[in-house]
Amino acid sequence: MKRLLLIGNIVVIFLVVSYGTVEYGVPVIATYLWKEDYKNLMFKCDQVMREHYIAKRAVELNPTSETVKNLEATEVGLLDCHEYDKLRKRMLIWGLTEPQLSLIGLEALEEKKYELRRFVETHEIRY
Amino acid sequence: MNFGGLSRLTRFATRTCLLAALLLTCQVSAFASFEDIIRKAAQANGFTPAEETHVPVNPELAAQGKLLFESKHLSLNGNISCQSCHLDEFGSADGIPNAVAIGGEGKGAVRVMSNGGILPRNTLPFWGRGGVGFSVFFWDGKVDFSGKQKISQFGDAFPSDDPLITAVHLPPVEIREMLAEDHIVLSNKKESPEAAENILKAVTARLKQNEPEVVNEIARVQSIGPESVSFFHIATSIASFIRDNFRLKETRFHRFVFKGAKLTDSELHGARLFYGKGKCSNCHSGPYLADSKFHAVPFPQIGFGKNGFGIDYGRYNVTHNPDDLYKFRTPPLLNVEKTAPYGHSGSVATIHEAIVFHFDPLRGIDPTHMRPLDRHEYFKRLAVSAEARILTGFLDDEEVDALVAFLRTLSF
Repeated sequence: MKRLLLIGNIVVIFLVVSYGTVEYGVPVIATYLWKEDYKNLMFKCDQVMREHYIAKRAVELNPTSETVKNLEATEVGLLDCHEYDKLRKRMLIWGLTEPQLSLIGLEALEEKKYELRRFVETHEIRY
Repeated sequence: MNFGGLSRLTRFATRTCLLAALLLTCQVSAFASFEDIIRKAAQANGFTPAEETHVPVNPELAAQGKLLFESKHLSLNGNISCQSCHLDEFGSADGIPNAVAIGGEGKGAVRVMSNGGILPRNTLPFWGRGGVGFSVFFWDGKVDFSGKQKISQFGDAFPSDDPLITAVHLPPVEIREMLAEDHIVLSNKKESPEAAENILKAVTARLKQNEPEVVNEIARVQSIGPESVSFFHIATSIASFIRDNFRLKETRFHRFVFKGAKLTDSELHGARLFYGKGKCSNCHSGPYLADSKFHAVPFPQIGFGKNGFGIDYGRYNVTHNPDDLYKFRTPPLLNVEKTAPYGHSGSVATIHEAIVFHFDPLRGIDPTHMRPLDRHEYFKRLAVSAEARILTGFLDDEEVDALVAFLRTLSF
C-alpha cells in the first residue's frame, strides 16, 4: 500500500511539474528564445507590406514593365510576413498569449521610437 | 462532468504533442520551402542556363585573338596590352579603383603608384561580354546596339554590326588608355571617325610589322591575303577570344535554378532578398543579372572623374540628355566577388558596402570632410537616385550578409 501511495505521489508530482512546465515554463523559454526574432520580423513585415502597397498603386497609376517588375519583387518580399506569421503561430503554440505577443510588438515599436498610434495603424484594416 | 477540466487536459496534451513535434522539426530549414518560389522568380527575371548565352566562335580565330589580347603592339605608341588591365587574378579587371592605363607598370597597388595615365573609371570585367543579347558596352554605354539606333563614337560608320567588335575598336584610339599623348597625337588631336580610322590603320601596320605570324594566321583563317588585313579583322579576332575565354559558365546558382541543387540557408535567404524586398532584380535581371539600362546609384566619386574636378555625368556624356545625368549601366553580377573594387569609379571596396550604398548611401560618407563642390555633386546624385522609386529596399546588416552569400554563388 505504501509503495502504491509512493508511486501515486510520484505520478502526481510528475504531472504537476509537467503541467507547470508546459503551462508556465515553456512560454517563458519561448519568449527568451524568440522575442528578438519576433520584434525583428514584425518590423520587416511592416516594411514589406508598405512597399507592396506602394508598388501596387504604382502599377495602377502607371502600368509599365518596370512598375510591374517592381511589384513582383515586393510580392516575393512579402515572404517576410509569412515568416512573421509562422513565428507568431509557433509562439502561440508554445503557450504565449495574444496579449503577451502584443506586448512584445509594443516593445518593438518603442525600440524603433515610433508612436503607439503607429502600431495601431499597422494592424488596422484601412484603404 | 467537468468539461473545463477536460478541456484544459486536452489543451495540455495537445500542446505537449505539438511541442514535441516542433522540437523534432526545428532543425528543418526555415528557407527550404521557398526554393521553388526563388527558382520561378529567377526564371521570370530572365535567368537562363549559362550555355544559352554562348555565341559560337572560330577557335582558330580565338587562339590568334588571345595572342593579340596579350600583345603590347596593339598600342600605337605605348607599352600596354588589353591584358595589362584585364587580369585573371582580378576576375578579368585590375583590382584598383581608377584604371591606370598607358605608362602604368605592374599590377594592383604597384600599378597605382607607377605614374601611368589614369582613366577616371573603374575597369570593367569581361564575363559574358559578347554573349547572346549582350549589346551595351562600357559604363556609359558608349557602344549601345540595344535599340533601333546603334550608338557608338563612330556615328553611322560603325565598323561592325557586332557590338563587341565595335567596342574592341575603341581602346586603341583612346588617349591615355592605349594611345599616348605624344607630339604627333597632340598635333592631330581631333575626335572624329576619320582620325580614329587613321590611328587604327597605323596600329594595324604596327601589328603587321611586329606580329607577322599572328596577322598571317588571321588572314588565313578569314580567307584573305595578309595585305588585306585591316583593324576590323584584328578586332574580330580579339572579340572571338573575349567571347570564348570569358563566356559564362555554370555557377552554383545555375545548378540551383535549373538542376535542383541545394543552397545554404544564408544563400537562400540572400536569393529571396535579391528577388524580393531587396528589389535587386529590378535592375540586375536577365542571363547576366544586368538589364543593360542606366541607373543612378549614389556611390562616392573618387578620382578626377570623366567630366573633371571629381565629376562624372555618366550616360549623359553619350546622350546629352539631362535625364541621363549620373546614370551608369547596370553592371553584370557573374563573378562579382572577384572584381572588387566596385562602382563606376571603384570607390567601394567590398560587396557588402556596395550593397549598402544602394539603399543607405549616407552611411558610407562623411560630408564634413568633403569639399563643397563634392558635397554639392553628391547631393545631386542622391537626388537623381532617390527619384527612381524602384531602387533597393531597406535591409539590415544580417540581410546584407545573406545577399553577399548569395552573390558568391554566382562565381565560376
